[in-house]
Amino acid sequence: MDFLYSYIILAEVYVLLGLSTNLLVGIAGIFSVSQAAVFGVGAYLVAHFLMAESLGFIPALAIAAVACIVLNILVTLPALRVSGDYFVVTSFGIQLLATAVFTNWTNATGGANGLPGIPPPDVFGLPIESTGQFVILCSVAMAIGGLAFWLLMRAPFGRLLRAIREDELAVAAAGKNVLRAKVSAAALAGAFAGSAGGFYATFLSFVDPSSFDLDASILLLTMVVVGGARTLAGSVLGPFLLLALPQVLTLVDIPTSIAAAMRQLIYGVLLILFMLFRPQGLAGEKL
Amino acid sequence: MVWLQLLVNGLVTGSALGVVAISFALIYATTKIFHVAHAGVYTLAGYLAWSLVSHGVPDVLALLLAILCCTALGALIQHQLYARLERRRATHLVVLIASLGALAVIQNVIAAVYSSNILQFPVPWSSRVVTVGTLRLNWAQILTVVLSVLAYAGTMWFAHRTILGKQIRAVASNPFLAEITRLRPQRIYVIVVAIGSAIVALPGVLVPLDLGLQPYGGVTPLLTATIAMIAGGVGSITGAFVLAVGIAVLQNLSLLVIPGEWSIGVTFFIFVIFMLFRPTGLFAKAR
Amino acid sequence: MIKVQGTRRAFAAVVTSVLLSGLLRPAMAADETIRLGAILPLTGPGAVVGTQEMRGIQFAMDAANAKGGVQGHKIEVIFEDNQAKPDVSVLSFNKLVDLQKVPMIFTGYSGPSLAMAPLATRKKILMINAGAQSDKLTKASPYLVNTLPSTGDEVAVMAKYLVQQGKKKAAVLFENDAAGIGGRDDFLELFPKAGGTILAQEAVQFGQTDYRPALLKLAAAKPDVLYVVITAGMVPLVQQLKQMNPDFLVAGTTFMADPAAIADPASNGIIHTQVQIDAPPELSAAFKAKYGDDMDFFARQYYNAAQIMLTVIDKVLSEKKPVTGENLHDTLFAIRKFQGLIPMEFKSNTATVPIGINKMENGKDVTLLQVTAE
Repeated sequence: MDFLYSYIILAEVYVLLGLSTNLLVGIAGIFSVSQAAVFGVGAYLVAHFLMAESLGFIPALAIAAVACIVLNILVTLPALRVSGDYFVVTSFGIQLLATAVFTNWTNATGGANGLPGIPPPDVFGLPIESTGQFVILCSVAMAIGGLAFWLLMRAPFGRLLRAIREDELAVAAAGKNVLRAKVSAAALAGAFAGSAGGFYATFLSFVDPSSFDLDASILLLTMVVVGGARTLAGSVLGPFLLLALPQVLTLVDIPTSIAAAMRQLIYGVLLILFMLFRPQGLAGEKL
Repeated sequence: MVWLQLLVNGLVTGSALGVVAISFALIYATTKIFHVAHAGVYTLAGYLAWSLVSHGVPDVLALLLAILCCTALGALIQHQLYARLERRRATHLVVLIASLGALAVIQNVIAAVYSSNILQFPVPWSSRVVTVGTLRLNWAQILTVVLSVLAYAGTMWFAHRTILGKQIRAVASNPFLAEITRLRPQRIYVIVVAIGSAIVALPGVLVPLDLGLQPYGGVTPLLTATIAMIAGGVGSITGAFVLAVGIAVLQNLSLLVIPGEWSIGVTFFIFVIFMLFRPTGLFAKAR
Repeated sequence: MIKVQGTRRAFAAVVTSVLLSGLLRPAMAADETIRLGAILPLTGPGAVVGTQEMRGIQFAMDAANAKGGVQGHKIEVIFEDNQAKPDVSVLSFNKLVDLQKVPMIFTGYSGPSLAMAPLATRKKILMINAGAQSDKLTKASPYLVNTLPSTGDEVAVMAKYLVQQGKKKAAVLFENDAAGIGGRDDFLELFPKAGGTILAQEAVQFGQTDYRPALLKLAAAKPDVLYVVITAGMVPLVQQLKQMNPDFLVAGTTFMADPAAIADPASNGIIHTQVQIDAPPELSAAFKAKYGDDMDFFARQYYNAAQIMLTVIDKVLSEKKPVTGENLHDTLFAIRKFQGLIPMEFKSNTATVPIGINKMENGKDVTLLQVTAE
């Protein structure tokens, strides 16, 4: 069962990240490809506190979430100044910069060697050791995240964000504070990404820069797009599907020497087909 | 005299990077498509030339055939992918993701066919060394500079002195107006992407001639080239070329003051700061 | 409504696919085949090495199966691509162990192996690493066995040799990843201990083949010797070194011994430590005939590791014990001494094997002397 469990746990972590990306990209219309960087900061922070044994898991997670709120606001600030493709490139830049910091700031991150031996999490003193317990913990976290997202989309704030995405000028003209709405969305996205990092680090008991690189950011974006933008169902579906895809593809019989490349290739083909024929993803709204 | 050799090496890599930048700038300024798959075209050019040379095709002919194939591939991507998305009124993000999909397809076809090993061109003359004073360059480097500068000059001449070039610039500056004057922007787009792909095939062959081929090696040069394009002001061919050379020179010289592992990080850090304060680029014309 | 149905259908697809991928293979496990796992990077930049490692294992297993397998049991190795990433590795590990019930897994790469090590301990799955050399691997898990010495062992041998040769001022060029940084740290510690001084160090990214800026900077420090810890891109490195016409010695680890680099005349005079593992010519020829590539260091290492596993499985079966991770582990240490491609002994989790100092000369890699690291 551990395989199914670890699949569910990783997928749930990615659901939290998917919600984060969805808030930014789908809802606030900020094309970020650097969410993995924020995710990474959350992971390293929680790892640091737990390894130093200075804090329990929940307080560490809270600090990581707060730090990532601040960080995500800073990271998305350029989006308020430049728009569209310019921000995509800026965002690429932020991501590459973050990878450089994760890889080279050896004292804090363990550098390219990573940080092994992160202790398992605890919930107010109760240790979470088996994979089964971890599934419950992550499911609860995902449920809270999902509920918050769902409620938010129904609240006046959610409607304001949608309106901004449709017509930013009109909303501004109607006297609403566009800047504040965008910054709030970024803040919430940061909290999601930061806590996802905490779960990720403690589940794997190991973090290194390769989990938080450009590919990870792009995978995240893909999950949201395949699942469907701007909906809760889409944010849940995407991660579960895309993490299952490589496993399903192993059933196809192709020579081992090229199997791996073929898998990635099919993945690319799927991306193209989705964009051509179903850009709203499986369960999302117009992107 | 280390700085002199570093400077010259920077000029060599920079000139190749500059050609990547102008080819991307040409496509981006006209079609407004963030053509990430361009990195795949760049990579494919080298592999095609390698195959041809390995089968005994003369070096020059191999280069020309590789350029021809890339031209066709570029036209195909525009005609079969981007044009279709355009007809479906896809957003920028959708096009970007489709382009990422196309990149994954090209890279992994290459990896499946050629394996992921670093391949060397079987041409002994390319690594022969020429000494000028204290400077030591090999033939691949010399050829890179000469052909890159010629490609830059050729592109400038083409854009400003030929009717097709003028049509492209007309479509780039105002597609609606161009449509009215029966320039058929979609046809121009296919031509532009084809030309851009032909241009990028040149560094796509020359750089691996010196440094070897890798299937996943096209992304970093493309991103750096994109940064050069934006910093140089979108629409300015000279700006893109000069900035690409500048970035490469700086990355080389920066080693004298900072450890090399930070050079990419520093490049992107400067870029992010730059985007915050001067998002229209150094060479942008007043609008 | 349509949306809801779509969602449900997609969920059903996920569940079905997970169940399918889970159930199909064990259903076929009724035959006598023994299944082992291998988690290696088969895509991405690490695939260069990963593919060779996969071939080495498969080559050994094919040969064994062609002779009727081990005591009548065919051996199948299920390869998982981890893209050299730790999280994918953990997922692959659980998949192989839970679904395919493999008792042992071949791994490579330090990061992924370290990430899987706690799982191996917990689930008593034997992991064999025959490629990664990070010092941390030696103590990561009692179930993680390394069939090659860690970088530290190699560096110790070279540091001593260099100082004996009067090369006391060194500069270090290293790859900015676990393998490269590990080697650099070892050198920074052991070279001064042996009596040398370090003048400068410079990093390059994995797969980055433009070494010129780093080389120029290091050469400017006027070292007697340049110590190199890089795992890929040797041919461009030796060519760019040659282009500089260096007045210092170039030394490295086993990673230097890329056949293409040795064959290149530019590599003349480079010395390196070499974990001794030679393939007999007929074996190399058969390998080349099958895959079209030379049987390089990693292919040989994993071929050798696969041989060790075959020996261990044979012993476990002949003792009529079930092939579990625990039995394989205990039997491996009970046998202790193996005669694969080289004699090797497991005094700890990391094999003791002879380390040579080689010099590249006219397209050949000549052994100057040989020591056994402790």
